[in-house]
Amino acid sequence: MSEDLTTERDVPRTGSPIIEAHGIRKRFGGVYAVNDVSLSVQPGEIHALVGENGAGKSTLMRVLAGILRPDEGSVLVDGQQLEAGSAQSALEAGVSLVHQELSLIPEMTVAENINLGFTPTRAGFTNGREQRRIAAEALAEINVSVDLDEPIARLSMALRQFVEIARAVARNPRVLILDEPTATLTPAETTYLLDMLQRLAERGLAIIYISHRIPEIFRICNRVTILRDGQHVGTVDIDDIQPNELVSKMVGRDLEKDLQSHREPTKPGEVVLSATGIHAPGVNGIDLEVRAGEIVGLGGLVGAGRTELVRAMIGADTRSSGDVTVTVGGSVRRITSYRSAIAAGVAYIPEERRTDGLALTMTVSDNIALPNRQHLSQNGVLLFGKIAEFAKRLADETGLRPPQIKRAAGDFSGGNQQKIVLSKWLGREPDLIILDEPTRGVDVGAKVEIHRLVRELADNGAAVLVVSSDLPELLELSDVIHVVRDGLIVGTLARADADEQAVMSLASGETSGSAA
Amino acid sequence: MTVETTVDPGETPEPTIPEVDVEQQDFSVLVFMSQQGVFVFTALLLVFAAIFVDGFASLDNITDVFNRAAPIGIVAVGMTFVVISANYLDLSVVAQVATSAVLLIAISNSTNMLVGMLLGLLVAIGYGVVNGVAVGVFKANAVIVTLSTTFIGLGLLRWQSGGSIYFGDPDGVIATFGKTEVGPFPLAMVVLIVVTLAMHFVLTNTTFGFLVKSFGSNREATRLTGVSTPLVVIGAFTVSALGALLGGWLLAAFSNTAVSSMSDGFDFEALAAIIVGGTSVFGGKGSVLRTLLGVVFVSALTNIMVLSGYGFGYQQMAIGALIVLAVSVDALARKAGTS
Repeated sequence: MSEDLTTERDVPRTGSPIIEAHGIRKRFGGVYAVNDVSLSVQPGEIHALVGENGAGKSTLMRVLAGILRPDEGSVLVDGQQLEAGSAQSALEAGVSLVHQELSLIPEMTVAENINLGFTPTRAGFTNGREQRRIAAEALAEINVSVDLDEPIARLSMALRQFVEIARAVARNPRVLILDEPTATLTPAETTYLLDMLQRLAERGLAIIYISHRIPEIFRICNRVTILRDGQHVGTVDIDDIQPNELVSKMVGRDLEKDLQSHREPTKPGEVVLSATGIHAPGVNGIDLEVRAGEIVGLGGLVGAGRTELVRAMIGADTRSSGDVTVTVGGSVRRITSYRSAIAAGVAYIPEERRTDGLALTMTVSDNIALPNRQHLSQNGVLLFGKIAEFAKRLADETGLRPPQIKRAAGDFSGGNQQKIVLSKWLGREPDLIILDEPTRGVDVGAKVEIHRLVRELADNGAAVLVVSSDLPELLELSDVIHVVRDGLIVGTLARADADEQAVMSLASGETSGSAA
Repeated sequence: MTVETTVDPGETPEPTIPEVDVEQQDFSVLVFMSQQGVFVFTALLLVFAAIFVDGFASLDNITDVFNRAAPIGIVAVGMTFVVISANYLDLSVVAQVATSAVLLIAISNSTNMLVGMLLGLLVAIGYGVVNGVAVGVFKANAVIVTLSTTFIGLGLLRWQSGGSIYFGDPDGVIATFGKTEVGPFPLAMVVLIVVTLAMHFVLTNTTFGFLVKSFGSNREATRLTGVSTPLVVIGAFTVSALGALLGGWLLAAFSNTAVSSMSDGFDFEALAAIIVGGTSVFGGKGSVLRTLLGVVFVSALTNIMVLSGYGFGYQQMAIGALIVLAVSVDALARKAGTS
C-alpha cells in the first residue's frame, strides 16, 4: 500500500516553511509539558507529531493554534510572528485546528456548524444562502457529500469528523492541525480520511498530524517529530526510520532497567474477578480474570476503553451485556450494581481523584470514614473517637504528609490526595482492588509509596487490577498485562515477554494478535 | 536521517511574555465575611437597633420578634439540609407550610387535632419523597422541581379549601399553645431551639447528616463509595418537609388561623436566613446553628424596618438584596478558597 504513495512523500523541501515554532516551553505547575520544542512544516507536507500519552503533543498543538500561551518561544507563520496565546491571530494567519473532542453543536445543522463563529450575515441577519454556499464549497473540497440541513446529532461519528474538517477547511487555512482524527473511525473511514488529507496536502496545505497509529503515519506523512516527556527527541524523514525504531524512540527509556524492580509474584490463588462478554459504550466484548495475589495490568492508549471496561465491570457505569462475579473464599457473588460490587469486597480508585475520588471540602478523616461508616457508627450515630483513631492509623499506613487528618482533603498535594483515596479503601481490606491511573500527576516519592502499597495488597492476597498509561509503572507492577485497543483485548503479555515496545506496538496497532 | 535544521539563533525572537498572576488579589476579607460575617453583622444590628430604634428593646417587641421568627426559623433549619446537599433550596416549603397549617386547624375544627397532625405528617413525607425522587433519582433540577410541587400543592390546597380562612377554637389547644410564654419566650421559640439542637445533632453526629454533607461536597465521589445517593437526597427533602410541617403548626398556633396564602415569601426568607448564616449554596458546608443565627438577623432586620415605618414592599426588597449580596459573597469566597 505504501509503495505507491512515495511520490506524495517527495515534497520539495527547498521552499520556506509555512509554520515554524521555535523553542516552545510550556509549564503546568512545576512540570514542563513542553520543553524547548521546535518544529517547521513546509507547504504540501504532512508532518506527524508522535509520543506517548502525556508526551506534550496536545500542549504543543494548542500552542501552535494560539489556544495556549507558551512560557517561552514563538510561533511564526510565513515568517511573521503570531501574537502569543491568541487563537484569533492564529486563525487569521491561517492556522486551523481540528479538535480531538468534536466541538460541533449537535442540534445545529451541517451548514450552521461549518460556519460556526463566522456566520455570514446581511443586515444583522444570518445570510442562509451564503452560509450554505460556504459549507457546500468546503465539503466539496474534501470530497464529502452530506445533506447541509441535517442536524449533526443524526450523523455518524465519521461524518461528524469530516464536517469538523470541512469547518476547518472553510476558513481557507494554510496550516491544518489534526489531533487523532481517526480515533473513532473504522478502517474504511480511516482510509477515506487519509486520502482526503493527502489531496489537501497536494494543494499546498501544510498538515500537522497527531496520531498514535503508527501504520497511518507511515502511510501519509513525510516527516515525523517525536516528543517524549515534553522533550524534542528528534525530527526525521519517514523514509529514514522503521516503525519499531519509531516506537522505541517514543518510549525511549532504558528498557532493561525497568524490569529489575519486580516483586516476587506470590502463587496466584482463586479467581476473584471473573468477567465475561463485557459490552458497554467503548467496550466491545471483553473477558477478564484476576486471581487472588495477582496484579493484572491493563495497558493501552487513552481512549482505548480501559476505564470504560473497569467501570462497566463493577457497575459504576451501566453495561449493555456481560456477566461479572466476585469470588471470595469460595462464595460467589454476581455483580449487578455498583453497590453490590462494593458489598462483595471491591474497591475502586477512580482515574479522576479530584472529581470522583475525594470530597475536597471535607476533612481527611471524613473522607476516610465515608466508605467505612458502618463500622464507625452505632445505630446511625457516628463514633468520633473511633473515626479519628481509624483515620490516623490509615494516614500513617499510607504515609500521608502532613499527617493532619483534620485538614480539608483539598489542601493536600496530588500524591497525598491519592494516599487519602487509598486510605479510604485500605480500611475495608478489599478482596479486589481496581486502580485507574493510580499515580497520574503524582510526584516521584509518592509514586514509590503508592507502588509499595499496591504490592503489599497483592502480597496479602488481594486481587489487583491496574489501569495505567504509564508504561514503566505498568511493567513494574503487573504480573500479566492485557493490552486494550478499540474496546478489545488485542494481546496478553506475560511478565517475561512484556516490555514497553511490545505494549506500545499492540496498543497502537503496529502489531496485532497475542504474544502470550 | 535528517534532523531538523536549526534556525539561525539571531532570528529567534526573544520571549516577550511576562509572567502575569491573575489571582493575586486578596480575598481574605470575603472569605471572612462569608464564614464569620453573620456573627459580626448580627451583633452590630442588634446593638444598633437597641440604641437607635424606638421600641425594639421592649419585652413585647422581643416576644413578637420571637413569635414571628419561630415558624420561619424551623422551616429554614429543615431546608438547610437541602442546601447542604447542594440542591440549592426547597421552594415547595411555601405550599407545605400552608397545607400543614390548614390541615391542622380545619381538621381540628371538623374532626380531631391529632388526625390533622397525622395527615400533615403524611403530606410532609409525600412532599419529601416526591421532591427527593425527582431530584435524587431522576436528577431533575431542584429549583424547577420544587417550584412545580409548590404549584401543585397550592393548587390542591386552594381547590380543597376554596381559598377560605379557617379560624381555630379560641379556647382550644392550638390557641393556648400559641399564647403560652416561658418567661419572655413564647413556647414557639422554645420549640425552635429544641428542634434546632436536635437537627444540629442529626447533621453533625449521625451517618445520615454525614452523608448529606458528603453528597453536597462531591456527589460522584460519594456515589463511588457505595452510598445509595437517591436515599440521601430523599432524606434531605424529607427533613425539609418535616421542618415545614412544624413551621406550619407554629404559624397556625401563633395566629390561630390558617389560609393558603399565609406562607407567601417563606421560601426566600428561609433561604436568606440560611445563606446569611454562612451555609454555602455550593453544598457540603454549613450548620443549622448558623441558620438559627441567620434567622435572628433576618427577623431583627424585618422588625426594625416595621418599627421604622418601612412597609412590606421595602422588606421584600431588603430580603431580595440580602440574598443577592450573600450568594455573591459566597461565590467569591469559594473562588478565592479554591484558587
